[in-house]
Amino acid sequence: MGKATIIPFGPQHPVLPEPLHLDLVVEDEKVIEAIPQIGFVHRGLEKLVETRDYNQFIYVAERICGICAFGHSYGYAETVERLMGVEVPERGQYLRVIWHELSRIHSHILWLGLAADAFGFESLFMHCWRLRERVLDIFEKTTGGRVIFSVVKVGGVVRDIDAAQMAEIIRVLEGIKQDYKQIMDAFLKDSSVMNRTVGVGYLSFEDATNLSMVGPFARASNVAYDVRSLGIGAYGTLSDFAPITDTQGDCYARMKVRALEVLQSIDIIEEMIARIPAGDIAVPVKGNPADGAEAACVVEQPRGECYYYARGNGTKNLERMRMRTPTSENLAGMVKALEGCDLADVNMIILTIDPCISCTER
Amino acid sequence: MGFATEFTTITLPELPELNRQRKAEGWRFVQLLGVNTEAGVDLIYSFMKDGLLVNSKIEGVTKDQVVPSITDNFLAAFVFENETHDLFGVNFEGIAIDFGGNFYALAQKEPMTIISPEQKAAREKARKIAEAKAAKEKAAKAGDTPAQEQPKAAPAADELEAKLAGMDPEKAAKVRAAMEAKAKKEAARKAEAANDGEGA
Repeated sequence: MGKATIIPFGPQHPVLPEPLHLDLVVEDEKVIEAIPQIGFVHRGLEKLVETRDYNQFIYVAERICGICAFGHSYGYAETVERLMGVEVPERGQYLRVIWHELSRIHSHILWLGLAADAFGFESLFMHCWRLRERVLDIFEKTTGGRVIFSVVKVGGVVRDIDAAQMAEIIRVLEGIKQDYKQIMDAFLKDSSVMNRTVGVGYLSFEDATNLSMVGPFARASNVAYDVRSLGIGAYGTLSDFAPITDTQGDCYARMKVRALEVLQSIDIIEEMIARIPAGDIAVPVKGNPADGAEAACVVEQPRGECYYYARGNGTKNLERMRMRTPTSENLAGMVKALEGCDLADVNMIILTIDPCISCTER
Repeated sequence: MGFATEFTTITLPELPELNRQRKAEGWRFVQLLGVNTEAGVDLIYSFMKDGLLVNSKIEGVTKDQVVPSITDNFLAAFVFENETHDLFGVNFEGIAIDFGGNFYALAQKEPMTIISPEQKAAREKARKIAEAKAAKEKAAKAGDTPAQEQPKAAPAADELEAKLAGMDPEKAAKVRAAMEAKAKKEAARKAEAANDGEGA
């Protein structure tokens, strides 16, 4: 056994698009402990509720993250609606789910591309991102934006999707599905991918449960928890929904769960489009949240459960707004998964929790 | 499975027991957050089980109080305890991974405890509106004058100032300029009237 050495990892590292620092305590190329540090990009967005009213803050919420922008505006609106007792029309709820699932598809395909890039399969990375462009095109056509959409408001949504656009979405998704299945085969069957991921960064079911893990990270360790199964909003109307899980708990299982969730999201969108009712897409919201009123809600973001909390003070500004993002919940699990791994696998393990540091620090 | 939320209030000494109980009963730790209030910082611990999200609130934790860490049972809480320490100045004892106040690189110490002038003005405005509403209702109940028939009083200077403080700074500047111009015009009109009177 060699001498213990501390190797700093990040905050600037090719595998990390965002700043995360780790002190890796290594012995003979084996990581025996990892101490994480974040805090390089804290922006104080939660404090902004004091100067932005509850309608304006939705635009701040969706700027927390460039990938789950829609999910944050959706989660924020859902929480404020609970705070004020607002009932969103059914069509508005369906539209939210359609855009939210499209966000999940683009997030997972983006991540798969990054994973391919991390283990040196650059052509696969390019195929993934080419496919993702088609999802962004749907966003552009239906919302006018490719990253920030600004289609959610407290009380519903601001834009409808007409029948012709719905048919176009189905057509594009069917095309994506065919191409995606070929890409998925490369991820799940190619020996060079399996060599880098199978048995790497193992996290047991017990550890995932004890450490309160969420999202695909937890589901890859057989934790069958997905907020969508709680039936919030239009998710409650789905004919059949079961979280996708795996029992292996390693990097391969995390990749597999995300890969299969893309197909699951396509199915959800198709079902939503087939059953979307006609009617209003929003209701007018008047007045301010009552002094001392509190509400909390959870939303399944692409990376896992995101918790939202709001407290009113009788004015148009909220007293407190809180977003607890999935990455902050998964940091403890990441530390556990890194224990005992090879130094060369650290980047792969970090990537498979799909960390979003900007989300975490807000 | 459905989804429901609950808010409960506990005291600080009850926290270790809650921590043990939640772990023993198989609850999942969801998050910890702080809310700055006049009495101190409210800490809200959230746990979830079978679709029930329970938020347990400890009200008014002051800076001289020490909050026992729950990381012995829920390691995931280390992120939130360090965060609450750095942003609100709450003292935690026994955090499994303690950053000692260096979790976030902040330009200002305990930034979430600072009450901005905008927030102060908004709170003052809400308080005054609530007081006025209560007084109006009281008067209406007493039967002095029907509430809807009471004449609308001109806003007091401090009330006006509170309103302006709550506005967007640019808009407030425009309102101030308009009010000053109006006051000048009024003064000029009065002076003119006085001069006319002297002349007669």
